[in-house]
Amino acid sequence: MNSLYVEGDSFFHRLPPRPKLILLLTASLALFLTRSPLLLGLSAGAAALLYGSLGIGWQQSWIRLRPILLTIAIVALATLVLNSMEEGGVVLLRLTTLMLIAAAVTATVPIGSFIDEITLAARPMERLGLVKAADIGLSVGLVIRFVPEVVLRFQQLRQAHQARGLKVRATTMIVPLIIQTLKSADEIAAAIDARGIRGQRHARNLEDSR
Amino acid sequence: MDIRFEQAGATFGDRVAVEPLTLSLSERRVAIIGLNGSGKTTFARMINGLVVPTSGRVTVNGSDTASAGESVRRQVGFIFQNPQNQIILPILREDIALGLKSRRLSAAAVDDAIEAILARFGIEHLAARRAHELSGGELQLAALASVLVTDPEIVILDEPTNQLDLRNRALVERTLRTLDETVIVISHDLALIEDFDRVLMFHEGRLLGDGAPRDVIAGYRKIAAA
Amino acid sequence: MTTRDLVLTALFAAIIVALGLLPPIMLGFIPVPITAQSMGVMLAGVILGARRGTMAVLLVLLLAAIGLPVLSGGRGGLAVFAAPTTGYLIGWVFAAFTTGFIAERVVKPSQTSLTQTLGFFVAAVAGGVVVLYAFGITYLAFITGIGMSKAFIGSMAFIPGDIIKAVVAALAGRAVMAGYPLLPARA
Repeated sequence: MNSLYVEGDSFFHRLPPRPKLILLLTASLALFLTRSPLLLGLSAGAAALLYGSLGIGWQQSWIRLRPILLTIAIVALATLVLNSMEEGGVVLLRLTTLMLIAAAVTATVPIGSFIDEITLAARPMERLGLVKAADIGLSVGLVIRFVPEVVLRFQQLRQAHQARGLKVRATTMIVPLIIQTLKSADEIAAAIDARGIRGQRHARNLEDSR
Repeated sequence: MDIRFEQAGATFGDRVAVEPLTLSLSERRVAIIGLNGSGKTTFARMINGLVVPTSGRVTVNGSDTASAGESVRRQVGFIFQNPQNQIILPILREDIALGLKSRRLSAAAVDDAIEAILARFGIEHLAARRAHELSGGELQLAALASVLVTDPEIVILDEPTNQLDLRNRALVERTLRTLDETVIVISHDLALIEDFDRVLMFHEGRLLGDGAPRDVIAGYRKIAAA
Repeated sequence: MTTRDLVLTALFAAIIVALGLLPPIMLGFIPVPITAQSMGVMLAGVILGARRGTMAVLLVLLLAAIGLPVLSGGRGGLAVFAAPTTGYLIGWVFAAFTTGFIAERVVKPSQTSLTQTLGFFVAAVAGGVVVLYAFGITYLAFITGIGMSKAFIGSMAFIPGDIIKAVVAALAGRAVMAGYPLLPARA
């Protein structure tokens, strides 16, 4: 699974992650305070310039933004038909601006920096005993690691169906997929504890170790 | 290196996995054999505290696995039956670094340790590869590297040659011979362990054989045929 | 949180991501393609229960937020949280929680398999349809200013597909519980 991060040396790339995230948060609130087509138009233009400065290219940008642009267009069109021209325009400009800023942040912050920011943000919660901040990075890594494995299992199950002349049905695929995947949890958890990765003081006995 | 079981046993609910037993291990190469479900994996997991005894106690170099589990696991590495589940992070290099992170080493020290362990197993070329792309033998070596990078004194391997082709099996066998660490191997692959220093044989949760490979393996063949 | 719970949560998040990689299918009687991913949200509640199910869904959204294309159709990045349909993504969290909360209390190992399946179905509909659409429609109405009733009508086409997903999630949840019980939560 490849991240949507894009290597680059633009101004926005060099900016540290935190001001970028603050910019996005501020924009997402500020854009809803105004209905002025001029202001919204200017901010959309600024967001487009920002996104354009990253050097992603038209084709790559289209692939990335198409699905969200499509929903924005549909919703803006529906608003235009249901309410008014002006309402439709406001929705279109607001959401497009937000999408461009958000996409610009995503394209310029590598996953590692994101995880560092989140881990840092989770520290106060850690002091309250709600989460262990280091678990966040570990969890993210685990998911990225096991998605290809789940997909592989899915393909093997489909082949097993075909080999036995069975019709591929939602339940006969999903049930074994989930059971097989979750059953490996015990061994993965044991591996994490055995390597002392979470620094747990006490090991727990696994109920189905043999 | 000194592993002691003192009347140590493990029970899960009402199922006795390992009956209480007393023994001490100090040989450099120990094998554990037995039929499926005989208790050999539970016994091995008791050595590094992944399973704490429900009766008696287990110590490694004097540390109790129940009360000093973390220190025991620092001394005893464990390679699981399915190395697929052992590699925790997507990229091999990241995964190896994971075990070092909890040691609070400098970034340079972490890099050096990773380079050294990759070179030791001759798998420098795999460092940037994704775990799910590795072959069975490569995965086994990668799992060894990720565990041995933290310098445990003892390493336990659960069926390391299971499901490997002949070439990969030979690769793992050769690698096992080069390890300086104390090696404890659980295996159905009797050829792999025939020159080990000591073999333990479990049957239905009990330690039924303990001694030189030739004698214990002969006893095991009788039980398996019965 | 035990290491086992952490791993179960991460593995289920991986399943939800993998479900999003399957191509969407068209059913004859509804005009919109349906994807398997939102069924993963119901399954998370049904199989893992409220706490771990909610964590699994949060983890998927976290992966999307940090720029991984984990949502159906290869969507990801912060931009997906700036879309008119963002309410549904936020709703996922509460949908998984509601489904798990009800499933944990309604479904018991002693019941017949039919009762269990029905219990899971009710839980999946309550979370994956009622709660999910409450969030989705409210957000859509707010962001566009078209009003609740129009937003509701616009979303109706998707409801039959989600009812079907609830049926599959209930059947699958029952079968997983029989084969590998995780409910009630063994925390």
